[in-house]
Amino acid sequence: MAANAGNKIRNAKLVLLGDVGAGKSSLVLRFVKGQFVEFQESTIGAAFFSQTLAVNDETVKFEIWDTAGQERYHSLAPMYYRGAAAAIVVYDITNPASFTRAKKWVQELQAQGNPNTIVALAGNKADMLDARQVPAEEAKTYAQENGLFFMETSAKSAINVNDIFYEIAKRLLQGQQAPSPQAGMVLNQRPNERMVSSSSCCS
Amino acid sequence: MDKKKAFDDTEPGPAPSRAVDRFGFIKPEQSNSPDGIPKGKSIHEREREERRIRKWRKMIGVGGSDWKHYVRRNPHVVKRRIRKGIPDCLRGLVWQLISGSRDLLLMNPGVYETLVIYETSASELEIIRDISRTFPSHIFFQQRHGPGQRSLYNILKAYSVYDRDVGYVQGMGFIAGLLLLYMSEEDAFWLLVALLKGAVHAPMEGLYQAGLPLVQQYLSQFEKLVIELMPKLGQHFVEEMINPSMYASQWFITVFTYSFPFHLTLRVWDVFLYEGIKVVFQVGLALLRFCHDDLVKLPFEKLLHSLRNFPEEATDPDVLLPLAFSFKVSTRLEELHKEYQNPGAGTSETSSSKRLQPLIAKTMSRVGSRVVSNLTAVSNLTADRK
Repeated sequence: MAANAGNKIRNAKLVLLGDVGAGKSSLVLRFVKGQFVEFQESTIGAAFFSQTLAVNDETVKFEIWDTAGQERYHSLAPMYYRGAAAAIVVYDITNPASFTRAKKWVQELQAQGNPNTIVALAGNKADMLDARQVPAEEAKTYAQENGLFFMETSAKSAINVNDIFYEIAKRLLQGQQAPSPQAGMVLNQRPNERMVSSSSCCS
Repeated sequence: MDKKKAFDDTEPGPAPSRAVDRFGFIKPEQSNSPDGIPKGKSIHEREREERRIRKWRKMIGVGGSDWKHYVRRNPHVVKRRIRKGIPDCLRGLVWQLISGSRDLLLMNPGVYETLVIYETSASELEIIRDISRTFPSHIFFQQRHGPGQRSLYNILKAYSVYDRDVGYVQGMGFIAGLLLLYMSEEDAFWLLVALLKGAVHAPMEGLYQAGLPLVQQYLSQFEKLVIELMPKLGQHFVEEMINPSMYASQWFITVFTYSFPFHLTLRVWDVFLYEGIKVVFQVGLALLRFCHDDLVKLPFEKLLHSLRNFPEEATDPDVLLPLAFSFKVSTRLEELHKEYQNPGAGTSETSSSKRLQPLIAKTMSRVGSRVVSNLTAVSNLTADRK
């Protein structure tokens, strides 16, 4: 997961969207710091993290915006998904309302966001199979119909967390090689920092 | 999702017995974080503290009986003493006196109980989901269904019934939680009402209304103040594409109760309740000023990190608050407010006449007339709901 110094670093803005308590912050915390806290403080406003990921001989540096889940904070969200190379829409597999909310986020991204944004759908809390209320098949079908890629994740047990980010990174780099060079990729707009921190956060 | 399951989501493990700081927050494992109070006070310091408490007790009178009288006669003394910090043992009482919440409580007997017991709220599930995520590292709020969590739930539910348009909004919990550490549930509820409905200062419910209008306004005002008062940093923010919403929205939404050094939160709140939202701008500006020379050199990512993690020296209230008070922003805030409401209208010519307005308003609120008239409005509001 750590970046290899020396190769090219591609910056990619990534935003997490989803219902209150779906586990957005927990997914980021697992990915960035390898940690999990049972009682993650609610996110107020938004929090920023970054993490680099090596894919073959290339490196993607994710600039991650973790947003507040509550509907009332909706008006702050466009600032974070605008210009994003990727978005992870998170729901809680034990909470059908959060799946409904996830679909609304997907619709909004499709309507308002950049068409090249890579959108991933994450069914989080996959460790709580006994409490499952959203069938994996249903989400998978929905994802296929809407051109998203789908994974069930667990920030708690670390299932598929790195994988979902890795998959996004891979697709970003593929998009980069595709005829349209702009596809979902935010190239380094700022002067590149020479040192690559393996992780940093400012929640 | 039913209630029971919502709670199961947040099932805690056995509470580990760990050391807490003087405010009740569990200390991080590698505990070198100070709680803002130097260890082992000298006898001299303790005596000074006791003298200070005696002065405060005299100023307040028994149960707050002399307070209004004292404030009317010596508003500047009160302001000065509050800026030095309210003694922690009197904080809860003084907060209720300066916020006008004590009057609300007395004018609305039985109302809180009705809201908690007999009313149902559409926000109940949302509140439950957030309860164990509010000050999760504080011993009072840690225990599942414990007295802290129950009181927090009751206040938030009561408010969501009291103002169904606002309902429950994430962020309120941190304010309610802070208040609960210093007063009873019912007292804390009325203080929340006093703030959001505007008993003494301008109402703050716009922080939580649909579209977060007041958050947007404050952020716009703050952005302009930064550009005016620290042009170099303001320019740097523009170049690095840093928008105040990225670092300051939580300052305003929770009035520095979220993810902020607690000892500093308390000192900010002392002033905030007496002088109003202005101090949030001032403290924000002071944080930027204190770190200015570092911030102007940092690129986007490090800049964001620094704006969320201020160095320990910057969060010493006795350093930061005097710096904060050195920013005279009242008049400019008024002007920026008008500009925000009425974009395009000129402001520079009229600033001298406007300069008088905040002063008058402030004096009025200190002598209490505005307090009374606004309180009547709030109590009418309550009466309407019955």
